[in-house]
Amino acid sequence: MKCQTCGEAEATVHLTDVSNNEKREVHLCEECAQEQQVTIKSYLNKQPDGEKPQQIEFLAQLVQSQTENFPDDKELTCPRCGTTYKMFRASGKFGCPNDYTVFKQGLVNLLEKIHGKVQHAGKVPLRAGDQIERQRQLRALRADLERAIQGEAYEKAAEIRDQIYEIEDRKS
Amino acid sequence: MNLNNIPFNVGAWLGGTGPESDIVISSRIRLARNIAEFPFLSRATPKERGKLERLIRKTLVDAELASDLNYVTLPPLSPVDRLYLVERHLISREHAFGKGPRGVGLGANETISIMVNEEDHLRIQGLRSGFQLRGTWETVDEADTRIEQDLDYAFHPQFGYLTVCPTNVGTGMRASVMLHLPALVMTRQIDKVFQAVSKINLAVRGLYGEGTQASGDFYQISNQPTLGKSELEIIENIERVIPKIIEYERTVRESLIEQRREVVEDKVWRAYGMLQTARTINSEETMDLLSAVRMGVNLKIINDVKISTVNELFILTQPAHLQKIERSELNSPERDITRATFIRNRLATGGNGNGKRANRDGGAASGVSDHEA
Repeated sequence: MKCQTCGEAEATVHLTDVSNNEKREVHLCEECAQEQQVTIKSYLNKQPDGEKPQQIEFLAQLVQSQTENFPDDKELTCPRCGTTYKMFRASGKFGCPNDYTVFKQGLVNLLEKIHGKVQHAGKVPLRAGDQIERQRQLRALRADLERAIQGEAYEKAAEIRDQIYEIEDRKS
Repeated sequence: MNLNNIPFNVGAWLGGTGPESDIVISSRIRLARNIAEFPFLSRATPKERGKLERLIRKTLVDAELASDLNYVTLPPLSPVDRLYLVERHLISREHAFGKGPRGVGLGANETISIMVNEEDHLRIQGLRSGFQLRGTWETVDEADTRIEQDLDYAFHPQFGYLTVCPTNVGTGMRASVMLHLPALVMTRQIDKVFQAVSKINLAVRGLYGEGTQASGDFYQISNQPTLGKSELEIIENIERVIPKIIEYERTVRESLIEQRREVVEDKVWRAYGMLQTARTINSEETMDLLSAVRMGVNLKIINDVKISTVNELFILTQPAHLQKIERSELNSPERDITRATFIRNRLATGGNGNGKRANRDGGAASGVSDHEA
């Protein structure tokens, strides 16, 4: 079978993509597949922790299908570790914790497919717990401040402002 | 530290004492953790790897974890020593034969092991005999909380604990239970279990986890999703399923005994006979025969062997263990001979496990517990 893209080389990459309940088969040669960032092969070579081959394949297809409409005109790169979104797609591995923030947009769909959920509900480190609690307090206080100013309760607003300063100081 | 200083009998988790231990061999929980200020190991430079290993090692040693941790640096170890740790389920195969600075903190009784620089910076693993995920979780949770006081974990309010692979993110937790299901395998019912289990987001794996084959009728059931549920919810999900599988295995065992008693007894006694008489035997055959004997002991067909002896034999007859016991490198045919001798001696002592008689007879590999350096 010839490659569907170039029509010249032998197709060695065969993909089955299921989206919106429609099954679509794609047959590509190695080169065109690479150009189109089809990364099944590297997924199979580097099996992420705990997956059987068929699950890897499934995961790879997921990464493909879930990240299709991801903006790839500008190559997303993590400023901290230099990992690009392309690299993540090829290896299934992140380069540093910051990648989760940089690639968040494409990631949420993927995590939804893998885990069924996208919000952590388990243990929280004590330190991070403090920080999360602090952010929650700050959000609430800022809303209070807004209301106080609108209601022209300036004395109260000043009080709230001091509380905000205090919490922000604790952070540093 | 010298691995010969690790007590030579097997870890507490093989004692065969925990709840449902006729079918549930062990309960295991592992947490994946990474340090915030460092890149993941997938992108770390050799220098960063070294720095990470030193930092985490120091933390683990200074932390005085309740379980009295011994830290083992892996690169200087011989291949046999590394394989030995894999065979005891204390480290993964990938960790044993990986690259760069890495190590493992081993707790007393081998109920906890902390891999440093595996796929993630830290893999905290708890292991217990029988069906006791909660107790295992408490041990691991405690160690994790202690380590967290000194190290800043990579954590995201939405995604939880951040891991190299998105399949581990969130709790970073994999909880698994190792089951011995010979009757379900014999009657070809095991596929039904797999299908049912995968429908509720649990995975089935072989003896050594991650992509390994099931051997000796051992299977590991573990959670698949790690994000979106609390650790206890994940554990509860497994706790709801395992009793059903246990029940299924027991029912099939009973009906086998009722309907095909001779067939079952024949399988068990032949296996026992082979193990008592074989002069050379490979790992695979050993696993299969021990599996049948284990079922025979549980069904009270065999009454003069302790279940803990059978459990230990599964571990001690593996290649690296045999070589540690013999204190020399053995090629495969030599191992098969040593293995057969070792099993004969162990079974001949009536399963009381001290191997004294075999020792007096000058038998080759025996008296494992006498082998401390």
